[in-house]
Amino acid sequence: MSTLYRHWEIIDRARTGKFMEEEDFLPKHFSPTLKKLIKKYEIKYDPKNPSPTDDAMADRIWQAAWDLFREVGYYNTDSHRIIEVTDEEIKEALYMASDQYVVGGGKDARVMRHRSVEDPEPPFCIMSPDITVDEKYHQSMCMAYLKEPLLDGLCGPILEETFGHLIESGGPTEISGCIQHIQNQKMAARLLGRPDTFMVAVGTAEHDSGQIAVSNDEWGVQKTDARLVGSLTEFKTADTLLNRSLHYAQYGCYTGNLTGAIYGGWCGGSEGTAITTVAYSLIGLVIHGAMFNQHFPFHLNYVSNTTRELLWPISMAGQALSRNSNLLYTSNGFANAGPMTEMLFREVAVHAMVSTVSSWHLWEMASTRNKYRNRATPLEARLGCEVGHAVARQKMSREQANEIANKLLAKYEDHAADAPMGSEYHECYDTAKAVPTVEHMDMFRRVKDEIAQMGVEFPY
Amino acid sequence: MSLEKLSKLVEAGEAEETKVLTEQLLKDGIDPLEMIETLTKTMAHVGELFAKLDIFLPEIMLSGEALTEAVNILAPYLEASGGREIKGKVVLGVVKGDLHEIGKNIVKLILETNGFVVKDLGYNVDSLTFVKEAESMEADFIASSSLMTTTMPRQLEIIEILKSKGIRDKYKVVIGGAPTSQLWADKIGADLFCYDAKSAPELFTAILADK
Repeated sequence: MSTLYRHWEIIDRARTGKFMEEEDFLPKHFSPTLKKLIKKYEIKYDPKNPSPTDDAMADRIWQAAWDLFREVGYYNTDSHRIIEVTDEEIKEALYMASDQYVVGGGKDARVMRHRSVEDPEPPFCIMSPDITVDEKYHQSMCMAYLKEPLLDGLCGPILEETFGHLIESGGPTEISGCIQHIQNQKMAARLLGRPDTFMVAVGTAEHDSGQIAVSNDEWGVQKTDARLVGSLTEFKTADTLLNRSLHYAQYGCYTGNLTGAIYGGWCGGSEGTAITTVAYSLIGLVIHGAMFNQHFPFHLNYVSNTTRELLWPISMAGQALSRNSNLLYTSNGFANAGPMTEMLFREVAVHAMVSTVSSWHLWEMASTRNKYRNRATPLEARLGCEVGHAVARQKMSREQANEIANKLLAKYEDHAADAPMGSEYHECYDTAKAVPTVEHMDMFRRVKDEIAQMGVEFPY
Repeated sequence: MSLEKLSKLVEAGEAEETKVLTEQLLKDGIDPLEMIETLTKTMAHVGELFAKLDIFLPEIMLSGEALTEAVNILAPYLEASGGREIKGKVVLGVVKGDLHEIGKNIVKLILETNGFVVKDLGYNVDSLTFVKEAESMEADFIASSSLMTTTMPRQLEIIEILKSKGIRDKYKVVIGGAPTSQLWADKIGADLFCYDAKSAPELFTAILADK
């Protein structure tokens, strides 16, 4: 059970809460409060350890995140009011949150459970390219991801065009594109014999109308699937977003809370990014009634999270959430390099390894800074999820993950700013059969061997 | 009490102390133009620190606020001596349907601290509003940001409205935002793709020189 029993009361505060001008909310309210809490709880970034082992600091980050949410609240840009919650409401929501959910249907159903730090149970693996693709490759790419053995859930590529028309957010083309998106995804799942695979859909919908248009248990997003509701950077929402969480609840599907705290932005550095990420999980639970939280903290300049200043907050946030709650949360990788480059494979391996030992489930993998059309393939997601399964099954410690992460970081970290863009999907895959090319597979195996030699015990 | 101290106060984002010292330095007979030149260099330095993320957004925003305090005091004196150079006038906003504005806010700050006058239209801005506001302020630039692929077509819509009104050549149309690219700029006929905030003043200045 989620917190939706309070949904109307919480949402009502978007109309009755404390008034504040939007231009004051972040610089005069959010950032100073966060800065104060970093100091109060003595949170200190440690660049030498991308996979840290400081349990006490993880607990302090949790407390700082709790205070941040309670003291700052959540700002509605449409009403200029702050939604505030009490300690009692947060405690109640955490008590009521389930530590596991069954998602997907029939033989394709999966259980997503709360993970502990250094949990021997493999992470739940959601795969996603996270980018846009040409209309002609959309279904092929959906099929290519669904061919991945470790896939527990799919978030398909995003359409920019629908039957030759540019998709415009909020307009009729978006509604059409969203229907096309979910039908391509479901058709691919049916053709592959995994018809009831858990899906998080549809990324093509930027506007609430697009999401609402695809709620249909016969041909659209089913009740066994999940939908995402985002936040505006940072700690802000709007009616179009609140519409979504209410609709998802009323329709009956699962809700995921999508947030990306920005390193270098209003959060400041790694310390603030860790605290904000944890606080977003509380927001997801209490405000949106989310079953899981989908976090992608990222670097303001690189738009990635595979360098150490982002790995540290990802790891600490996961540990803080695991030790102090029974929530579910996925770690969404954002790489600098593009497909069919050794750098991308190393980036996804580090992201997945650090995330897994820190209690996260996996959401892999946005490549090429999540910016360029067609630049993502399932193979990088495959490597990330294979690493996740491996390090969980071998009970890898955070210390060992730290050692391997530092070795791999040494190979790519200096190239974060000038990472290679790699190739597009159709250059890495046979798009008709939705299988990788020989060249792409060779590179995958080469980097996998390199990582295995460092101590990752792949099951196959 | 010196220009050096004023520079440090602005860098540290101490708005109130900046205000007090600016007034004091004026009383001491320091040339307002010299003060502005010093603070312009200070903000360029702060901008470089931010570009490398040696400092973060809250810090550069505070520096910007401190600079504004100083500029507000110095403005009347600068007007009397011919005024501060204005490098260009910009209408800036995030396109309709898009609620993400952090990038736009950084660009605004960097442009303003480098001598541009910016009218910030906020986010979720109708394409026609960009055009009307540009006409109203007699802008040199119409700059729009889009973070989502499905809101990028609104950048094209701005250009199409300018063409429909027969005023396309009156403005330099600038586009930016995470999913945008030079390819997209070329496709829709924008004058400039602004790939990051720190490059904005240089790029805007260069393209205006070509006008």
